[in-house]
Amino acid sequence: MRLSAEHLSLRYNGRDAVHDVSLDLESGELIAIVGPNGSGKTTLLRGLSRLLKPTTGHVLLDGEEIRSMAPRAVAQRLAVLPQEHPEGVDVTVRELVWRGRAPHQGILQRATPADHEAVAWAMEAADVHDVAGRSLGSLSGGERQRAWVALALAQQPRVLLLDEPTSFLDVQHQVEIMALLSRLNDQGMTIVAVLHDLALAGRFMQRVIGMRDGSVAFDGPPAEVLRPEPLEEVFGVPMIVLEDPESGLPVPLPGYPDAAGGASTS
Amino acid sequence: MAGATAETPGAMSFLVPRGQSRKHVALACAGVLALALIGLLTMMFGAVNLSAGEALSGLAASSDSLSGLVVGQIRLPRFLDAILVGGALGVAGALLQGVTRNPLGDPTIFGLTAAAGLATATAISINPQIPQWGITLAAMIGGLGGAGILFVIAYRGAVSPVRLALAGVALSALFGAITVGLLASVRTFIQTTLGFLAGGLYGADWADLYSILPYALPALVAAVALSGRLNVLSLGDDVATGLGVLADRTRLAILVVAGVLTASAVAVAGLVGFVGLLSPHVARYISGSDNRYLIPASALVGAIIVTAADLVAKLVITPSEIPMGIITAALGAPFLLYLVRFKV
Repeated sequence: MRLSAEHLSLRYNGRDAVHDVSLDLESGELIAIVGPNGSGKTTLLRGLSRLLKPTTGHVLLDGEEIRSMAPRAVAQRLAVLPQEHPEGVDVTVRELVWRGRAPHQGILQRATPADHEAVAWAMEAADVHDVAGRSLGSLSGGERQRAWVALALAQQPRVLLLDEPTSFLDVQHQVEIMALLSRLNDQGMTIVAVLHDLALAGRFMQRVIGMRDGSVAFDGPPAEVLRPEPLEEVFGVPMIVLEDPESGLPVPLPGYPDAAGGASTS
Repeated sequence: MAGATAETPGAMSFLVPRGQSRKHVALACAGVLALALIGLLTMMFGAVNLSAGEALSGLAASSDSLSGLVVGQIRLPRFLDAILVGGALGVAGALLQGVTRNPLGDPTIFGLTAAAGLATATAISINPQIPQWGITLAAMIGGLGGAGILFVIAYRGAVSPVRLALAGVALSALFGAITVGLLASVRTFIQTTLGFLAGGLYGADWADLYSILPYALPALVAAVALSGRLNVLSLGDDVATGLGVLADRTRLAILVVAGVLTASAVAVAGLVGFVGLLSPHVARYISGSDNRYLIPASALVGAIIVTAADLVAKLVITPSEIPMGIITAALGAPFLLYLVRFKV
């Protein structure tokens, strides 16, 4: 399943946040979108997942204009997990995950064996079996985030879009979520995640798209684009990029503004 | 709890749905029994008292006999009116509480009742001889107008509960004042006016039932059909859109259905308060918070409250009666105080 943006421009909160972006997100890719606050990465994700109507341009899902497709038909193939979840949702984890079946169910949401299977798989994959009977409000941050991920997985999407799925999580839970995304990707799911943490992007993702001022500044495999010059251009601070001694993957770190001239990776 | 997810899929999983325990099913059965019991008492007691046997045989008898006349032409239609009014108000309350994510959601508090009442009073004051279908039509116009105003206020996402309730209180006060002014300026039958303002089923008959059925029944079916989408909508607009539910369109549909249900109740019973507020909160004990079960449960609870209140209203100062709305207010107002103090 291929997701494409064609000359996409988007307005968000009264601001032109994304200008004329064209991208092809190929089937089976594992993609991070990075960039400073206000660079338009969340807006781009909202546009790609049809939460936001483009001012100009199109989003195509397998060549079909996403806004002219039936909302349910899109939801059967594409799931999106927004960054912020509403407060005071008074449901158990199991009920929440079941609601992910809505796009596949009839009007009274009568459960079929396929639904049971999908829910069981989603709860297994996101590791929320142990908390299935607990209400959402009683969970820790990491458990709650995994419950929302399970909701999206219950849709059995071919494309999964996530906005900062690791924010507010501790290191262990960050790694768990990223490992989950990798496993899902191994099973053929296309994954696009907005990430703040460049080290996580470098370690887990296959392609990194850097946004600056609403445009794509760089786009490529981590080893090619997570280098000091492109990162400095995007983030506006000196950057150091270390090499992970085991995998050889790039580990970007902010440098010292004072020593801008001297910051070098040798 | 992990074992519970391994339940065998199949027909039973629909009959005893997820998260529904035997306790819930037993409570629902108890509710239906309670409604049947209230029905029996309603057929028996009033200006003329009948034995249980006479009341039941009166259901089948022709209206030539006394019991046949009293039961078949007066008590049965009024009881069915009470069921429909209570069911409509209970479901309207559940829809409004769900769509606004506000435990104070209620047709009276949000001004829907007052809007339907104003339109009804306007129609009556223009033509005091207006037939029942005309009153119902006027109530529908008012109810839909009220729903439109509510949609404009609550157009996007979760509106602050305080703002919605404040706007509703303001609208209720405005519409209510105009309604009383209109009715006071027309020298119409005073008991009818009082019954309308306080809410009551005095003289409710088959004609009332037939006039609201074409609106109320489709609206009740629509409410059940929308209940799954209401569940999804409660997860927030973004998640709902991601799951293929268009948030604004669903919100509008739900408010329209709530408006029609409120108008149905107002057309027959006048300004009955608190049933819409009370019913969903009680129904949650029966059904849990899943709207697919909460909405039918709210209809059941609403029907029980209104039929019971109507029975009490007929019996306290028999052979005269007090407006039924006074009984629901006497029940509902303390419950609202309890909610404000301990729950909201």
